[in-house]
Amino acid sequence: MKALLHDMTRCIGCRGCQVACKQWNNRPAEETTFFAGPGYQNPADLSAKTYTLITYNEVEQNGRFDWVFGKLQCKHCLEPACAAICPVEAITKTESGAVVVDRELCIGCQMCGTVCPFNVPRYDEEGDGKMHKCWLCFDRLEAGEVSACAKACPPQAIFMGDRDEVLKEAKRRIAAEPDKYIPDIYGLEEAGGTCVFHISNVPFSALGFPTDVPKEVIKVARAEIIPSLNGINPAAIAASVAVAGVGWVIKRRTELEKNDN
Amino acid sequence: MTSHWIDMINADVVMICGSNAAENHPISMKWIRRAKEHGAIVLNCDPRYTRTSSFADHYCRLRSGTDIALVGGMINYALQNNRIQKEYVANYTNAGFIINDGYSFEDGMFAGWDGKKYDNSKWAYELDDDGIPKIDRTLQNPQCVYQLMKKHYKRYDVDTVCKITGADKDDFLKMAEIYTSTHKRDKVATWLYAMGTTQHTHGTQNIRTYAILQLLLGNIGMAGGGINALRGESNVQGSTDHCLLFHILPGYLTAPTTAHVDLKTFLEKTTPKSNDPKSANWWQHTPKYMVSLLKAFWGPAATKANNFAYDWLPKRNTVHTHMHIFEEMFEGKIKGGFFWGQNPAVGGPNSNLERAALGKLDWMVVVELWQTETATFWKRPGVDPKTIDTEVFMLPAAASVEKEGSVSNSGRWAQWRYKCQDPPGVAKPDSWVIGMLVKKFKELMPTLDKTGVPEPLTKLYWNYGDHDEPDPHLIAKEINGYYVKDMTDSKGVAHKKGEQCKNFVSLTDDGSTCSGNWLYSGSYNEDGNNMARRGPNDAMNNIGLYPEWSWCWPINRRIIYNRASVDLEGRPWDPKRWVIRWNQNLKDGKGGWEGDVPDGGWAPGTVYPFIMRPEGHGCLWATGLKDGPIPEHFEPMESPVRNLMSSQQNNPPAYVFGTKTMVGSTEYPVICSTYRVSEHWQAGAMTRNLPWLAELVPDAFAEIGADFANRLRIKNGDRLAIETIRGSVEVYALVTNRFKPFMIDGKQVDQIGVIWHFGYEGIVKGDSANLLTPHAGDANTAIPEFKAFMCNVRKVV
Repeated sequence: MKALLHDMTRCIGCRGCQVACKQWNNRPAEETTFFAGPGYQNPADLSAKTYTLITYNEVEQNGRFDWVFGKLQCKHCLEPACAAICPVEAITKTESGAVVVDRELCIGCQMCGTVCPFNVPRYDEEGDGKMHKCWLCFDRLEAGEVSACAKACPPQAIFMGDRDEVLKEAKRRIAAEPDKYIPDIYGLEEAGGTCVFHISNVPFSALGFPTDVPKEVIKVARAEIIPSLNGINPAAIAASVAVAGVGWVIKRRTELEKNDN
Repeated sequence: MTSHWIDMINADVVMICGSNAAENHPISMKWIRRAKEHGAIVLNCDPRYTRTSSFADHYCRLRSGTDIALVGGMINYALQNNRIQKEYVANYTNAGFIINDGYSFEDGMFAGWDGKKYDNSKWAYELDDDGIPKIDRTLQNPQCVYQLMKKHYKRYDVDTVCKITGADKDDFLKMAEIYTSTHKRDKVATWLYAMGTTQHTHGTQNIRTYAILQLLLGNIGMAGGGINALRGESNVQGSTDHCLLFHILPGYLTAPTTAHVDLKTFLEKTTPKSNDPKSANWWQHTPKYMVSLLKAFWGPAATKANNFAYDWLPKRNTVHTHMHIFEEMFEGKIKGGFFWGQNPAVGGPNSNLERAALGKLDWMVVVELWQTETATFWKRPGVDPKTIDTEVFMLPAAASVEKEGSVSNSGRWAQWRYKCQDPPGVAKPDSWVIGMLVKKFKELMPTLDKTGVPEPLTKLYWNYGDHDEPDPHLIAKEINGYYVKDMTDSKGVAHKKGEQCKNFVSLTDDGSTCSGNWLYSGSYNEDGNNMARRGPNDAMNNIGLYPEWSWCWPINRRIIYNRASVDLEGRPWDPKRWVIRWNQNLKDGKGGWEGDVPDGGWAPGTVYPFIMRPEGHGCLWATGLKDGPIPEHFEPMESPVRNLMSSQQNNPPAYVFGTKTMVGSTEYPVICSTYRVSEHWQAGAMTRNLPWLAELVPDAFAEIGADFANRLRIKNGDRLAIETIRGSVEVYALVTNRFKPFMIDGKQVDQIGVIWHFGYEGIVKGDSANLLTPHAGDANTAIPEFKAFMCNVRKVV
């Protein structure tokens, strides 16, 4: 099983990864104006067109000012809730570690998006009406290559390899420079563990990473499509799916709805 | 670069000053990161906290235009605290050279100023009866360079430096301490710089401060050391080597002036001489390189009888830098122009003037990948095309990957590139356009020529195959040089006509060899196209030289001045990361060098290491510049404050065109600097036409400190008007904590920065920052002062 490590002490925020991702995965550009987030961030968020996104964070820590670059993308959970809930089993946790959406099967019901603790899968409203997200360049992994973002990264801030090796490397770096790194590895425990790790010199909360993600696997039951008179309108499908999740998912959904309003 | 990209891994300290390497040379971070892994400390100086600062271990800010004060302070720190590599300084630099009595320095002025220019003979070395410079290697003589320098830089004490630069005292001292820690023999620092250093009216002297510091610390010629210009275009190193600039011919030979009336005079005046038997004075070979170049230009028509066609070379009688050309164009003195891979309507300083100057041309030809702002200057916003008579021809060009040839990187590596696809539509390689022009000129010259001397074109040797596009291999072979007739060389070895020269040592001044650029001789010899080599193995010293990967000038020497990396016995100062070393067992006990290609094969200690200089020593003291033998701080032409070092406000011989000195203007109180971002490339044609890059940075913007923005009630995303005496732009405001006000001599000064990539063409458009910048330039190179000028800022409501 492969994994990806993003080391924020190495990242220079150049966005070679963001462009390489669009190029390899043939994603169109988004129309933007000025900047859509702090610093040079563009576009505003992950989307069906943007699978990975660099964020720019001005952080003041222990009297030292710093500018730290975060990377948003699918974390490729060990036991992904998105795959568990998908009513048509379009999402698979592959042996390579990548969590892959089969858009031949996907019906665009967006259930995966509602249970993702990292708010990753996005619905392609303008395009194919299906769910989109980083798939860890599964096609490249199958060919024995690293992801496009890892390949493009000039300072090699993105490191890919076997998951246990990557984790070992993350731990080695932190142990070697305990004054530089905070001791945590993001993704080690989040949602029961993932295949994308982040290490940093500033707390993840300062970078806008969700820090309330449960440490255990998010257990959800597969959703069922309830026959409806509304036809195949994706929004209608979403409304007619019966969710058999627990606590956190409900909370998450409520929050998302609140944000929408 | 005196070294190369990979060599950065060998550094103990990496200084990035005058460069935003992480943003503009992201690949450098691959190597610097590896240096950090084995404990290197990365330092960064910049007015603004950049993506490079975030990568650095220590950051020290300085006000734009005050590098000499800052680094002068570091030089003073090294000299006062004896943090220098003494043996290196005494033996390999001109520290001990005695300067003649005519030298003086008073209140910002060096000896020899006549009101317009310096007479630099006043700074010259004192010579003995044999014409050899007098040297006191104990460095005690009060008239020696070391003592003069020590006195000069004593004025750059910490408090003065911080008052001028606005640097925080602790930051400055920490940086000086860390950097000068590499004065130890086996510790080394590299200095990376770029346009942040050069684009000032004292840009050359900025670089000189770095070079002086590196020489004092014994860091030149060492693995992980050197003074390293990160070149701003993928092949700007190659194009400069092949005479991009008006004052040089290929291989940095002097471009002749009207004073060089014939070849004999030219060679006499441009070939340096040395009476010192220990000086290799490599430029003594100038005649061989010049005659071989003339043979490449005019082939069989260049004969001994006609002085190898020297008369056909154009002679200049004035300077023709970018700004000079545009000033003359503006005055209507230039009839037509080719704009080739250049977009002055966006990239040129004072673009209002330069855009207007284009309208004075009768005709212009633009050879470009896209329709640039220069190509459509005649229909730019605010201008009625009916008022412009210039006839414009647009020739679509092939991109770099659509043609074959070599690209030279900052580390002097010439790397061969293959064509990967055909150019779109009717786009053609630049060489095709030139080839067709030559063909047409040759055809028309005999009838159209009114000068009576059509030969420069009719006799031009154009022997690059039968196709319309010249064969890049034939061009490369000619650049390398070959024998034009059967001959026997000075060692008695016979050579056949058409044989490729081994390297520049083979070149002759009798007309039996040609070479389009002596520096590249060796790149395509009888071994084949060495630039296309991709040998994956490192050399025996394992310092990342990879000598069989591509080819590097000169003569595949990866680290130049490497004879300075060993002591007088040929033992490396740093045995762990040695570059070359003398091995007595080689050559049957006669001894020889191993490791990198040495700067000449002479035995250790027999020849001075800086072989390109007539005095053979690294120049702490430079006798050949136009603005002084050692750097002195002057304010930019436009500055918020008076010069605290002397009553001389600006660099006296700087090039200025209508730009007046400005000190503490209340109308224009804010310092402005222009710069680039990772996401866009130069004038933007190659990136503002690509949706993925346009998405990332879709608009022109200025960065403004949160404190300053607050005072102006400006919020992030507001529209901002920036005005200078020359023009104004309207851009978005990016409010950030990465810019903070400076305290300069008790006065608070704000600085902003604006990106210059934008213009009125492309899929994303915006105002060009160069509408703001001045026509004022460095005293030696005339590079414009893009990095420090004064503006006013207000919110657009």
